[in-house]
Amino acid sequence: MNDMGLIVRTLARATIPLIGIFGAYIVSHGHLTPGGGFQGGATIAGAGILFLIAFGLEEAKKRINKNLYSALEGIGGLVFLGAAMLGLSVAFFYNLLWHKGPILNGHPGSLLSAGYLPIMNLAVGLKVFTGLVSALMAIALYRRWQK
Amino acid sequence: MTWLPFLIIIPLFGAFSMPIVSLLKGKAKEVWATIVSFATLMVGIQVFREVWSKGTLLYTLGARNPFGKADFPIRIVWEVDKFGAIMVLIITFVSFLAVLYSIEYMKHDTGLEKFYTLILILELGMLGIVITGDIFNFYVFLEIMSIASYALVAFRNDTWEAIEAGIKYMFVGSLASSFILLGVALLYGQYGTLTMGYLAVKMAENPTIVAKVALALFLGGLLFKSGASPVHMWLADAHPAAPSSISAMLSGLVIKAGGVYAMARIIFSVFWPALNPITVGWIIIFFACITLIVGNAMAVVQEDMKRLLAYSSVGQIGYILLGLGIGIVAYGTKIGEIALAGAIYHVVNHAIMKALLFLVAGAIIHEIGTRNLNELSGLAKTMPKTSFAFLIGAAAIVGMPPLNGFASKWLIYESSALFNPILGAIAIIGTAFCTAAYVRVLFTFFGRPREKVLNAKDPGISMLLPMLILVLAIIVMGLFPWQISDKFMIPAARGLWDVLGYVATLMGGG
Repeated sequence: MNDMGLIVRTLARATIPLIGIFGAYIVSHGHLTPGGGFQGGATIAGAGILFLIAFGLEEAKKRINKNLYSALEGIGGLVFLGAAMLGLSVAFFYNLLWHKGPILNGHPGSLLSAGYLPIMNLAVGLKVFTGLVSALMAIALYRRWQK
Repeated sequence: MTWLPFLIIIPLFGAFSMPIVSLLKGKAKEVWATIVSFATLMVGIQVFREVWSKGTLLYTLGARNPFGKADFPIRIVWEVDKFGAIMVLIITFVSFLAVLYSIEYMKHDTGLEKFYTLILILELGMLGIVITGDIFNFYVFLEIMSIASYALVAFRNDTWEAIEAGIKYMFVGSLASSFILLGVALLYGQYGTLTMGYLAVKMAENPTIVAKVALALFLGGLLFKSGASPVHMWLADAHPAAPSSISAMLSGLVIKAGGVYAMARIIFSVFWPALNPITVGWIIIFFACITLIVGNAMAVVQEDMKRLLAYSSVGQIGYILLGLGIGIVAYGTKIGEIALAGAIYHVVNHAIMKALLFLVAGAIIHEIGTRNLNELSGLAKTMPKTSFAFLIGAAAIVGMPPLNGFASKWLIYESSALFNPILGAIAIIGTAFCTAAYVRVLFTFFGRPREKVLNAKDPGISMLLPMLILVLAIIVMGLFPWQISDKFMIPAARGLWDVLGYVATLMGGG
């Protein structure tokens, strides 16, 4: 019921992975290029919404688990908070991973640099993606117009 | 090592972990919310003691001091002075009681994991507002608080009035918030900094018309958030429609943290060098007088119990604004000091007693299922403990001498009468209306029981305990009114006036 035609579904099958990969790229390069957690997360959520529209509500209901998505959203927030608390011995939000850190203190401009920023971008990306998809699923599942 | 960051970390952790904790079935989410808010209360007490023993706290996010290599603050700072510490204490206290109360009160509702997440986020937003020393950080926390309260007002979305109140509150509230954001943008464009203390420095060097426009926008937005009179209409809808534990937080805390506290902070710590105290003070006094009369007079004619309490909140905000306004106009005099101390004292007292009254109203709705006062006659026979709590709360709010409301109202009456007798008379008229409203409710409660009331009984322990704690707080605070005023409220008022001290704490790097 209420899914799109064959052309749209085929195209969606082709584009959803591309949108997802592009969003993941924006999230993971948030500390190097324009974009970041929110922009990338919203892009990936765009893939989720395309899935919902192209394949219909019934299919989306089977694939999207409410508990999983709300737990993942919580985890996104917790990871962000955890990264912010790493340097609490100096100050809240002190970038310990950049000043001392094991891996993420590479040369500025390389992927493994900027301390906790990539971690925070991933956390925000996860939170935005799961949050937007859950919100749109909840709206899509809302009572029908009349009955 | 300061406790201050944990004031944000603990509620944030509680809110983010709530969706995961609630995967455990049963009472896990209630227990978790109670633990988290109790831990926040403990941290709040610690922060209060820290500020009181060591003076204004400065905390920099991201480094040891706010400066880096520059000679001006570049990082977000949190700065808690004595007024902020009082607010921290009262916010954590009332929020904990509201969460405790919700365990039994909300047990018939669904979607409770969202409820407890939102209640913790609401607490977080208010705590952020009162500790922050950065004006954009202030805006962010203000929005956190506002959005959480929009969602909580409309929480019972199967009732038409919750949706209506939520929409009304959200539309006009977002507009008010956007005024504040516009004010922040103007200040940043003009002065190039967002730290409150450093903005005061820049403003002293170069007071501009932009600063005045920004102040007007801030005042407009914050008067809305505090429920001052021409824009109090959201409050009278939002408080009755929200679940009662939320009404207690909205009325006791949100309108003070996001309204009165923010206004005092913005005026004294940011705009003081640029503004004309007489003009700004009289603007606030003008709105305070309208608020006093309108709020209290509208409370008299209500038939809905929670609506009555909501209008009474508007009226009490009028007293607080009156004290604040006199504290601005009469800067540096004894009268102004008493007025400002009275306003701060009344913030605390009103938070306690209005929380109590809303919790009582919630208990009555929970047991009997109606808010209509005409149907609640004779309640004292079947719900004696609840009615007693209401009696104490009502007596405190009109300002009966052995209770806490007396001292704070006395300070405001005394200062307003000394400042300008007309204002004193207006304050008295407001109280006359307020007394009429509450005496009317009490007469209903102690009248002849109606059938509807006969089968009611007092609620369970987790609803009675928060009321009992608040009754005790009212009585105990009422026993030592002048000690509290001399030891806490007057120093807090002096600290608020001490703009140079606020800036020096920031620039000294703490």
